[in-house]
Amino acid sequence: MQRDKFFREIENVRHPNETLVKTHCSYCGMQCGMNLRVDTSTNKIIGVEPRYDWPVTVGKMCPKGVTAYQQTNHDDRILKPLIRDDASLKGTQEGFREASWEEAYDLIAEKFGELQSNYGKDSLSVFSGVSMTNEKCYLTGKFARVGLGTRYIDYNGRFCMSSAAGGFLRSFGVDRGSTLPWTDVHETDCLFIAGSNTAECHPTSMFRVWAVQERGGYLIVADPRETPVARRADVHLDLRPGTDLALANGILHLLIKNGYADEEFVNKHTNGFEETKELVKDFTPETTSMITGVAVEKIERAAEIYGKAPNAIVMFARGIEQQHKGVDNVSGYTNMALVTGKIGRPKAGVATFTGQGNGQGGREHGQKSDLLPGYRKITNPEHVKAVSKVWGIDPEEMPKPGVSAYEMFELMNEKTIRGLYLLCSNPAVSAPNLNVVRKGLKSLDFMVCSDFFLSESAEYADVILPSVTWSEDEGTVTNLEGRIIKINKAQEPIGESKPDWQIQVELAERLGRGKYFSHLKTAKDVAEEFRLASKGGYADYYGATWDKIDKQDGVFWPCKDEDDKGTPHMFLDKKFYHPDGKAKICALPYRPPAEEPDEKYPLRLTTGRVVYHYLSGNQTRRIKFLKDMCPDPYVEVHPVTAAKYGIQHDENIRLFTRRGKAYYKVKITEAIREDTVFVPYHFGHDESINLLTIAALDPISKMPEFKACAAEIEKLDSGKVL
Amino acid sequence: MEKKRLYIELENCIGCRSCLAACTQCGGHEQKNRNYVYDVNPLVNRQTMPLMCLHCVDPACARSCPAQAIQIHETGAVLSALTEKCIGCQNCTIACPYGIPKFDEEENLMYKCDLCIDRTKDGIPPMCASVCPSNTLQWLTEEEIAEKQQMHDLGNDKWVTSMPYLEGETNVKVNLPGILQGTTKLF
Repeated sequence: MQRDKFFREIENVRHPNETLVKTHCSYCGMQCGMNLRVDTSTNKIIGVEPRYDWPVTVGKMCPKGVTAYQQTNHDDRILKPLIRDDASLKGTQEGFREASWEEAYDLIAEKFGELQSNYGKDSLSVFSGVSMTNEKCYLTGKFARVGLGTRYIDYNGRFCMSSAAGGFLRSFGVDRGSTLPWTDVHETDCLFIAGSNTAECHPTSMFRVWAVQERGGYLIVADPRETPVARRADVHLDLRPGTDLALANGILHLLIKNGYADEEFVNKHTNGFEETKELVKDFTPETTSMITGVAVEKIERAAEIYGKAPNAIVMFARGIEQQHKGVDNVSGYTNMALVTGKIGRPKAGVATFTGQGNGQGGREHGQKSDLLPGYRKITNPEHVKAVSKVWGIDPEEMPKPGVSAYEMFELMNEKTIRGLYLLCSNPAVSAPNLNVVRKGLKSLDFMVCSDFFLSESAEYADVILPSVTWSEDEGTVTNLEGRIIKINKAQEPIGESKPDWQIQVELAERLGRGKYFSHLKTAKDVAEEFRLASKGGYADYYGATWDKIDKQDGVFWPCKDEDDKGTPHMFLDKKFYHPDGKAKICALPYRPPAEEPDEKYPLRLTTGRVVYHYLSGNQTRRIKFLKDMCPDPYVEVHPVTAAKYGIQHDENIRLFTRRGKAYYKVKITEAIREDTVFVPYHFGHDESINLLTIAALDPISKMPEFKACAAEIEKLDSGKVL
Repeated sequence: MEKKRLYIELENCIGCRSCLAACTQCGGHEQKNRNYVYDVNPLVNRQTMPLMCLHCVDPACARSCPAQAIQIHETGAVLSALTEKCIGCQNCTIACPYGIPKFDEEENLMYKCDLCIDRTKDGIPPMCASVCPSNTLQWLTEEEIAEKQQMHDLGNDKWVTSMPYLEGETNVKVNLPGILQGTTKLF
């Protein structure tokens, strides 16, 4: 299905004594198809072969994808449980000794038991991630609520997708990251991409992006930097970091003023148009230009192109979402599609580029502090009843909602949270305002970390449990389209490592909660329970059987039963998910970033990814090719700004904010605003830019403002790191 | 089997260097990548371009080789030096107008792109063109390449295609940056 003009029938190369296992990449939300090459004599993964027949990516992979297989048998893999007896060594790699699973489980059960009997159920917490299968994400939520009985669970999606989720829920009443399949992208007439460095963060989208221009369509990119995708844009809206909402309002104003509103669509299928129209009147091109720093002509041109385009797709990513008004930014840009009616049909709609492999599925099924499987709310008694039934617990036993990811670290510092089970995440690098986060981790009475490499966060643990890489387990993932796909197992777990679902089942048994978990003996068992738990929720996966996923090249949710083929295009019937079936056009007053530049901190600091690394870099910094290509962080500075500070290319400088400092090598480039500096966030310890970022949280999504804070550069006497 | 060629559309390059990563994955490449990606003007913008072996019809590398170590495959691919014949003189690295052949100091051997001959001899695209996320590197039929030529050769002073060839005739076809100049906009 969905075989488009890029699809070619190509035979794979099959080397002697090898089998190919079809699967997907371990990294971002593109979830590129790939074949892992497995040596049939050793049963080890030895390489990668393109998966030409995967309809979304047709064999294409970025350098992370090509080298992803090198994680599995990497020398740095943790092969046995590790215990550290000397808590004074927390925050270092020192003092760990190998232990048996028995000893590790015994110690965890003892310490968790002690903490809960002394300080209550909620003294424990779970911090998880979404670079793992739906099955694991689902079970992690159940493990926290049923296994540990704590309210405190949250996950790294708060640093990734939560603003998109909040914005889509408000605008559409449903949070599916893309309203259309990716095979539509190259067929639209205009792409409006805001806050996405697509070429580096989702590279395998690029052949579709360029194809729009080759057909004579338009590309509009809003970004403070002239990224590789912005370089070729028809209009590059080079806005100040943190001013997206003004830009979105300004463009909406022009769309309405110049007659591009689709009145019939607006009247029949939306609410909120009139008050939004009133509000955006203030955002004249001149006012918008003053706030955003984008030239008036560019704003006018972008609005004209988007307005005229027969079909257009508004796309965005962390650039607009990682702000303390991230949810408003999402709804603000989504307004453009709703007002012009460019949604609810093929080749037109709205999409976010999901950051993590399972950023979509992982946020739907109960890892979030207030959510239960199927996108149900833990505050809704009916929802609690439905899930309790599947779990076999009394609804009364269901813990109350907890707090968001960053707030958990504050509770650690306050000693409200005393124990932590961390998995699939590295917040000691990826969370904002790291001095507070690292202090929180250090102050814990007891911490367990499950990972396959010893991450910077694992350095704070008392017990490290060796988990498996994605290639040593199976399960489903929901990609950035909302398509549920299948990850296949290519190799047995190395050493004594185990998949996280198995660890949770065994741990639950140790904690005396086995009756709720012991029936889960395989990933497939978890999958079957998970389908049932999502049934009836609006992220309904009940009909997405592994069989169907295989036969159909994935299944788009919602998919309610065995006969349902799934939903590649959302809203084709123009029915949105709010109770009255209408979408909401949102009137959104502009707010500046939480911290604006001033005399003391005159620069705007923004952060992001490079093509060679993924998230905190715990995986990619260990892969030789990727490490060689980008070994160290750096700060991008415009030459005019560099001249003001008297600093040169490759010189070391001190970069600091009100929260922290770090030393970086200067990378001079004209492809950034003069008032803005950029540092990639994939690096640990003293090199983490998140020592400097601000934990100003979005009131709805609790997303921190990674993308904008005030900073200053200090030239060093020696030009060398001190 | 329909003849296919490597085709390079330089304007598309996003500098991800996936082609280099993938090059190491071709079974016959001993984990060493054989091509290049350059930042065109790194202090100014993010433009990048791959520099791949163009597989010359009359290759200077092979002509300059005193040991006749560089063979030309029947598909036109200019192969890496035969290890048993290569004397490590590095003539080829100097002779190549594009600076393609690399030299392994430890082994005292040259090595270069062989267009993933184990793949391309059977019509399977080379690793670089298989993975290239931006379609800078494509594996196309003669007919598809003719279409590209038609599309991008403007027949005026603003020519953007390097077809039929740059320095000498090559098996790989290239379009220089600027391909969008001739595009008619949809609206």
